Amino acid sequence: MPLSWALLASLALAAAGYMVGRSRAFASAGADSRTLHSRPTYHGMSVALLALIPALVIMVLGALARMTGLLSAEAGGVVGLLALGAAVIGLGIGVSRINAGFMARNAVEKIVLGFLIFCSTIAIATTLGIILSLVFETGNFFSQYDWRAFFFGTEFVPRFEGNSRLGVLPLLWGTLYISFIALLVAVPIGLFGAIYLSEYAGPRTRSLAKPVIEVLAGIPTIVYGLFALVTVGPMLRDAIAQPLGLGSSASSVMTAGLVMGIMLIPFVSSLSDDIINAVPQSLRDGALGLGSTPSETIKQVVLPAALPGIVGAVLLAASRAIGETMIVVLGAGAAATLSLNPFEAMTTITVKIVSQLTGDNDFSSPETLVAFALGLTLFVITLCLNIVALIIVRKYREQYE
Amino acid sequence: MYDTTRTESAVSQQDIKISARNVQVYYGDKHALKDVNVDIQDKTVTAFIGPSGCGKSTFLRCINRMNDTIDIASVKGEIRLDGEDIYDRRVDPVQLRAKVGMVFQKPNPFPKSIYDNVAYGPRIHGLSRNKAELDEIVEKSLRGAALWNEVKDRLAEPGTGLSGGQQQRLCIARAVATAPEVLLMDEPCSALDPIATGQVEELIDQLREQFSVVIVTHSMQQAARVSQKTAFFHLGNLVEYGATDDIFTKPQDSRTEAYISGRIG
Repeated sequence: MPLSWALLASLALAAAGYMVGRSRAFASAGADSRTLHSRPTYHGMSVALLALIPALVIMVLGALARMTGLLSAEAGGVVGLLALGAAVIGLGIGVSRINAGFMARNAVEKIVLGFLIFCSTIAIATTLGIILSLVFETGNFFSQYDWRAFFFGTEFVPRFEGNSRLGVLPLLWGTLYISFIALLVAVPIGLFGAIYLSEYAGPRTRSLAKPVIEVLAGIPTIVYGLFALVTVGPMLRDAIAQPLGLGSSASSVMTAGLVMGIMLIPFVSSLSDDIINAVPQSLRDGALGLGSTPSETIKQVVLPAALPGIVGAVLLAASRAIGETMIVVLGAGAAATLSLNPFEAMTTITVKIVSQLTGDNDFSSPETLVAFALGLTLFVITLCLNIVALIIVRKYREQYE
Repeated sequence: MYDTTRTESAVSQQDIKISARNVQVYYGDKHALKDVNVDIQDKTVTAFIGPSGCGKSTFLRCINRMNDTIDIASVKGEIRLDGEDIYDRRVDPVQLRAKVGMVFQKPNPFPKSIYDNVAYGPRIHGLSRNKAELDEIVEKSLRGAALWNEVKDRLAEPGTGLSGGQQQRLCIARAVATAPEVLLMDEPCSALDPIATGQVEELIDQLREQFSVVIVTHSMQQAARVSQKTAFFHLGNLVEYGATDDIFTKPQDSRTEAYISGRIG
């Protein structure tokens, strides 16, 4: 019997078990259903879960065993039958357990709690798995390449014939420079937009403008990248870079930074808007009641109260900017340069990770493995930013609850 | 500012500070306040009593135009402060609120230090020329609010860290520091325990020497204790207004009598 059929059959058994369990509970209660310890639906649920869970466990184990080759494909039918048998036995045990005193609610709630814990563990376990795989490959990389040359090298020139220089500094510099310009664009515009929307705009403007701004957040970053490539890049080059003699490349830090900033505006503005709205109205009333103007109220009371949250929003935006790839590839190019000129092409860690891993290279050369070291570096940077952001946001929450 | 109000008090003890004529308030389609006429005296505590939703807080918020901040509220009629129509187009609500301070139901200290909370009003209105003067105003206001002794050693700590009663007295000190001519209090003791309530009530009695106080309260005992004049509101109407003793001992209107004896509300 194929597993899919076994699954369907166990589901049907569980559904039947629910109905049977419920009616048995009603029957065992007699005339007064209040003598039951748990409500009949809980009895039904406990029977259904007892039928379903052992069957599911057997099926998952069987599938895993087949994937790892411990079982042949033909053994699938046996596993299906086993699962079905377990479901039937579970159903029988479940139904026989039902009487007025059986604590079905406690049993069901324990299972549900276990399920919730299982789900949250998956999130944490996958994060750990990702870190471990990065750490493992990074270890490989550092066994082949000197860590001092990686962290303090000022050139990133991979050569597949060997003898490459793989310094992280130009990439780190490009990442931070582009993110800095992006935040310089996104934070003031997003924040002032949020202040207008939450403090000055009437309900009609607000209901119109907020979705329009949030549409920006739905645009895929590759589209922003195209915008950078065909519009912003050439425009900046023709209008500023060439007349001032700063460079002749359409790909530049400025292009990528500006477009990335535009991408981050809705992110900053909608987060800040929520945070500003969360400042209690009583504080605004208090300030207005003392005779402050709306602008004094915002500057001296609302913004200071919202500041920790806004800082958190900015840091979240920063970690998005640091992780952004597509806009950089199309806007800033792929040349690893260490320069102050914002109209020069530069590149970031993420772009280099992609370029080192694409193409057919073997996974043992330092030129490929450097991608994992770069990834881990990036992960540590964004992790630190997120932790700082979380701490600040939590501090803000404590103040008003 | 304190000096000028004090000289006035000698001359005109029973002057009319605020006079309201035919005041109507609408929240959207709802007629929340109907035809209110009232004269509020200077250097007097006036209590507004009445069941919930009767319009007493609404009327209080008309006096310093706090209803302007609610989009759907509209106010008709005439309210004069010292003879000047406060709903006149030339009157800036910001300047009006500097003269008519307000203390709210829930203590709402700003997320600043205790000192900065009290110094907020004097700073924005430029009431002090230097740090020494500002220090003096802060101390005087905190003493006035019976809070000085409790906080004098921790003026730099956040105002939000105080207890509920202390926070409310801080808010009163903050309002007093702007040297208002009228102080509006919207159920200032509803979040406080009896001891803190007693302190605030004592404070209200002292504040009467400097300016006129209008207090909205749900507690009839409180109205009887602190006020000289009482206005009873019911379903958006001002039913009866007079000396507090008269309202509580010989009410003219049957609705007032029903309310103070606990039969409605």
